[in-house]
Amino acid sequence: MILSLVFFTFSFVFYLITGLLYLGHWLFGKKWLGQIATSMAYVTLLSTTMVLITRASESGHAPFSNLYESMVLFVWATNIGYLAMEYRHKLKVLGAIVMIIEFFAMLSASLLPYRYKSVEPLNPALQNKWHWMMNVLSPFGLQKYAIGWLDFHVFTTFIGYSAFAISFGVSIIYLVKNRYETNGRHNSLVDAFPDARVLDELGYRAIAWGFPFLAVGIVSGAVWANYAWGTYWSWDPKETWSLITWLVYAAYLHARVTRGWRGKRAAYLSIAGFLAVIFLYWGVSFVLPGLHAYA
Amino acid sequence: MRKKDNKVSKGAEGKAWYQAIGSKLWYLFNSLKLTLFVLITLAIVSIFGTVIEQNLPAEDYVARYGEKWARVIFYLHLNDLFHSFTFQALLAALALNIIVCTFERFPPKWKALLNHRSEKFDPNIVDRFSNSETVSLKVPAETAKGRVLKAFARKKFKTMTFSSGSDQLVYAWKGIIGRFGSDVTHISLLLILLGAIVGSVAGYKDYRAVYEGGTIKIPKADFKLRLDKFWIDYYDSGQIKQYNSLLTVMENGKEVLHKQIWVNEPLYFKGIRFYQSSYGVAWDRVNDAGIAIKKKGESDPQAPVTVKWEQLVKMPNSKYSVKLVGYTADFAYDEATGTVYSKSPDANNPAVKLEVYEGGKLVSTPWIFLKYPGIFPAIPNSDTDLVLEGYHGEMYSGISINRDPGTNIVWLGAAVMGIGFILAFFVYHRRVWVRIRGNGKSTEVKIGGMINKNNFVFEREIKEILDSVKSD
Repeated sequence: MILSLVFFTFSFVFYLITGLLYLGHWLFGKKWLGQIATSMAYVTLLSTTMVLITRASESGHAPFSNLYESMVLFVWATNIGYLAMEYRHKLKVLGAIVMIIEFFAMLSASLLPYRYKSVEPLNPALQNKWHWMMNVLSPFGLQKYAIGWLDFHVFTTFIGYSAFAISFGVSIIYLVKNRYETNGRHNSLVDAFPDARVLDELGYRAIAWGFPFLAVGIVSGAVWANYAWGTYWSWDPKETWSLITWLVYAAYLHARVTRGWRGKRAAYLSIAGFLAVIFLYWGVSFVLPGLHAYA
Repeated sequence: MRKKDNKVSKGAEGKAWYQAIGSKLWYLFNSLKLTLFVLITLAIVSIFGTVIEQNLPAEDYVARYGEKWARVIFYLHLNDLFHSFTFQALLAALALNIIVCTFERFPPKWKALLNHRSEKFDPNIVDRFSNSETVSLKVPAETAKGRVLKAFARKKFKTMTFSSGSDQLVYAWKGIIGRFGSDVTHISLLLILLGAIVGSVAGYKDYRAVYEGGTIKIPKADFKLRLDKFWIDYYDSGQIKQYNSLLTVMENGKEVLHKQIWVNEPLYFKGIRFYQSSYGVAWDRVNDAGIAIKKKGESDPQAPVTVKWEQLVKMPNSKYSVKLVGYTADFAYDEATGTVYSKSPDANNPAVKLEVYEGGKLVSTPWIFLKYPGIFPAIPNSDTDLVLEGYHGEMYSGISINRDPGTNIVWLGAAVMGIGFILAFFVYHRRVWVRIRGNGKSTEVKIGGMINKNNFVFEREIKEILDSVKSD
């Protein structure tokens, strides 16, 4: 309990620092600030990884079983996703937005009421381990480290969420940048962003990762539900909202190949998609009753 | 949406009305705008199915939303949205949309991709792409061509060469299969829909509550299921860890299979799955009860005796034997019919029914109450009374029964979707043309091409290919 809390606090502060460094890099355009920001982002990633690891060792199961743990997972995956994008496309200005989103995600996780944070043993519905993995690990006495549908389902879903968070940030910047480009206006801060064309492509790339991962999350959830609840689909609010989200992003993907829908409207769909993700993630847990009420 | 299309209106003149309507419909379902419309409408309509709780009893909707809105909910079938005509029609439209689009787009694409090598190679095609680069080398054209081919081979491109006049031309491609990703994904969606339809037509869902030792007859199957044991595991902290049922499959009176099921571990037998879905304490029977003798004049009853369900037990220090024959959790008496029933499944007023024997002769059949000892004398005209001191409830296990022959089709669809996604999102079809034009001393290499998605990858790849052509 203590160690993971220590790492959480460190990560929390690190995200603020990283976000401010990226912000400084964006505002003042100093290259060295950007370099420090990137190395700080790696330190933060390491620290967030440690939160997950220590949490897992404290609770005795993968740290994906309540809202607090899943928030840390979300922040962790978004950090990795962002760093991968920064590395591949050599773009640092987006870091300011992503890291500040990360900071607020950490803030909201830390403000959660205790019952969403406490280390709890897994309830009956959450106990699922893969038999084959137990069989592989048991000769070495490691079967308690076997994972199951819970871990796979949550992990893939959250990679999807993270990718959508990144595409959301990119789409907002796209809309701003696009407006400046079409009006021919200039502003040194907006000019620091890549071209609208590039942003559109980046947003698409993020969704091209998020969409299949969300699908894998939905399907693995269905496989698991078929074991635990007796049916692969029961129109539970969480399931339905995951489908709604998936449909919005499916619309986005089709919009990008439809004349008149490319660019601005696609960006709006991407933003709508992320709002659906937020509701899927938080809204359903807090507002709507259903089978997923525990997370 | 554009209603008129040149192709349709031209063709429509010579056609019968049904053909005209047919081709209009075909055109409608071939449109991507319809896809967008259906996807967004499905998303919006589904929201109602999450905000309004589904499949509640009618009076709950009236209580929650008032009579007027409840009427609207029933009129629009919002209480069972996902099985309503509107929702299924939208799904059908999506399926039709997918089918028509696949028929319309797949064959020409297939043909074009199959024959892409025999296309006429235009030496000036390279000038047409926005993604193009030129480099000039101080080597003969043949050497340059060799380098280009080697660079492509290193990047795992397939290549073809042509020559046109003094120009050497290379055509290279990679990842053609990625172009079929969208088709594979679309077909997988149809498979999943098919699986859902098969499941809803040929499958069923059911539920049975069963006591330890009891058997359940399985609907539409030739075997029975016996519950041997039900128990709950707890963590040290007292939280519930797991619900378990030990089941035996009985076929023609013989035991065929034993299996312990728990939440997350169903029993699968002859196409039917059995799930641990709930449990509870019975309201019409108990496992055993503690019955005590209370003599007239004594203030406290004697030590209680444990009487098991439907077993005859001799009561110590008395001439009576008792048999435990009935239980109600929430005792109520219907005077009109003279019957005893339980007002609720909760143990608000637990009572047991006994048969009291004296020397083998039935002398009384009293109900005795846990909360009201001695309210009615258990044995008439006797100095002995019987009181209920406590009991152990009988647990039942709730087993969900589900037969869904469509499930495997759904999983097949999901697997196909996975393949489709890999092809659609991570395999890019690149086509690159290279023109090598030598003038004896130096050689100009111009490279250009296109990719079906992910331009970033492509720009970098073109640069890398050129770099290795230059440096080699």
